[in-house]
Amino acid sequence: MTAQTPNPPSEGDGEPPPAAAPVHRGPPIAIAEEVLNERGERTARLLAEVVGPHAQESGGRDDLPWAVVAPENLVEVARKCRNSSELALDMLHLQFAVDYEDHIQMVYVLFSMSLDRKAILRVNLPAEDPTVDSVVGLWEAASWYERETHDLFGVEFAGNPDLSPLLLFDGFEGHPGLKSYPFNDYQEW
Amino acid sequence: MTTEQQHDTIDMMLNMGPQHPATHGVFRMVLTLDGERVLDVTPHIGYLHRGSEKLCESESYGQVVTLFDRMDYIANLNNELAFCRAAERLMSIEVPERAMYIRVILAELNRVASHALFIGTYAIDLGAMTPVMYGFRERERIQNLFEAVTGARMMHNFIRIGGVKEDVPDDFGPRVRQLIGQVREGIEEMDRLLTFNEVYLARTRGVGVIDAATAISVGLTGPSLRGSGVAYDVRKDDPYEIYPYLSYKVPIGENGDCWDRYYVRLQECYESLSMISQCLDQMEAGPTMVQMRRIARPPKGEVYVHSENPRGDIGVYLVSDGTDKPYRLKIRPPSFCNLVGLAPMTRGSYIADAVAILGSLDIVLGEVDR
Repeated sequence: MTAQTPNPPSEGDGEPPPAAAPVHRGPPIAIAEEVLNERGERTARLLAEVVGPHAQESGGRDDLPWAVVAPENLVEVARKCRNSSELALDMLHLQFAVDYEDHIQMVYVLFSMSLDRKAILRVNLPAEDPTVDSVVGLWEAASWYERETHDLFGVEFAGNPDLSPLLLFDGFEGHPGLKSYPFNDYQEW
Repeated sequence: MTTEQQHDTIDMMLNMGPQHPATHGVFRMVLTLDGERVLDVTPHIGYLHRGSEKLCESESYGQVVTLFDRMDYIANLNNELAFCRAAERLMSIEVPERAMYIRVILAELNRVASHALFIGTYAIDLGAMTPVMYGFRERERIQNLFEAVTGARMMHNFIRIGGVKEDVPDDFGPRVRQLIGQVREGIEEMDRLLTFNEVYLARTRGVGVIDAATAISVGLTGPSLRGSGVAYDVRKDDPYEIYPYLSYKVPIGENGDCWDRYYVRLQECYESLSMISQCLDQMEAGPTMVQMRRIARPPKGEVYVHSENPRGDIGVYLVSDGTDKPYRLKIRPPSFCNLVGLAPMTRGSYIADAVAILGSLDIVLGEVDR
């Protein structure tokens, strides 16, 4: 015997059904705990001192604290981080972009070669016009990272003298790093 | 009767590569020359760009390991280790101790193989034909062992998230000990042949000098940074796996020239061989893989993990959205970052030294372009 489920009553010419939210299939999504260890706590305190009121948000995991700063304050905060004798974050270890679709986040991983310190600065940029000041004046390493990010994500770096294509060929259209860039739809050339 | 004439000189642009044996891959640089002097260098990369980072976003975590194999194809196992550590950190997995020992032995063997290849090919860059044979011979011996352990000579896919694929063969211990002896002899042979050779010193001493402050600013890591006298080694300063249990020294250079970068790598080979024999002494039987779900599904979050590759400091920044595929995976390729240092090193040197300086950075183009 089968239970007959009645069809839902027709709405007639009412408003169109709401757009279906993306369905998550599979097990429920767990969220990683963000806990700083002893080294991380120490650096986080120093970072909070240096960044001060510019920090919009902060947190950290293991030995790596992070702080979100506004795009206009980035260079100032980064210079303080590099020049502070307590932090001495003299190496730009990694700089890259993450595309969160509604915004683009620039991540700056800073290391100290002399002291046992590392920290992350984050900057949230609008997806339509991602522009941020260049840090190439502070670390030469930024020159290639910024060219790469400009290639793949279309982020503009004000003050970087050379943003010519690095990984892509001249005349390539689009920014393949973005989530909106079609992945399987490539053509041979 | 002669009259002296004032000649105006113009700078000459010289293109080198992308098909050139001394660039170790598909790499092009444009040299601006004033006579024999190099005024500026413009490197051009991207010929091997495959979009590995984007590709990782559509592969499951287990499949990403194979992509890491194909980045730095001289040091595959070190690359696999870098990614697996990032995923394990995010998933809070404790890897069994025996698996960590196996990983470290294989990673250090791969470091020796990579450095042996460097010493050989660097000598050929400088015009010495013989050492490349010795370098390849030692690398071949190590690869034969890799074949016995992992089943493949290069693309191993042996280090997995949570441990290693399987335990090592029964004769692993004696075989590695025999191998260490052979390789040490081979490295010593190259050492005797090259290190204090008059011609070799003339080609490398005082060439491509970079001071510590500039090296840090351009982001040099690994032997290239330690050649400038900065004692930063991830294995010491940010220990991972079982490195805290091993005793070893971190060789550093004094002048930051090509010879120092070479000598640091040579000394690292001896240190790595001694680390491997310590590992074999300490290793005990046990499981080699943690009990976990077949499909890795890290929790939502972000993690940054870095480790010491033969070429430098490889970093993996992993952003997970809680599904079985990474949301974003950013690799810090050490060769890419070291290549930024090429221009400050080469400016002002002779054109004949340009190849020596490029060679001393020991780049792998598969990793530069990803």
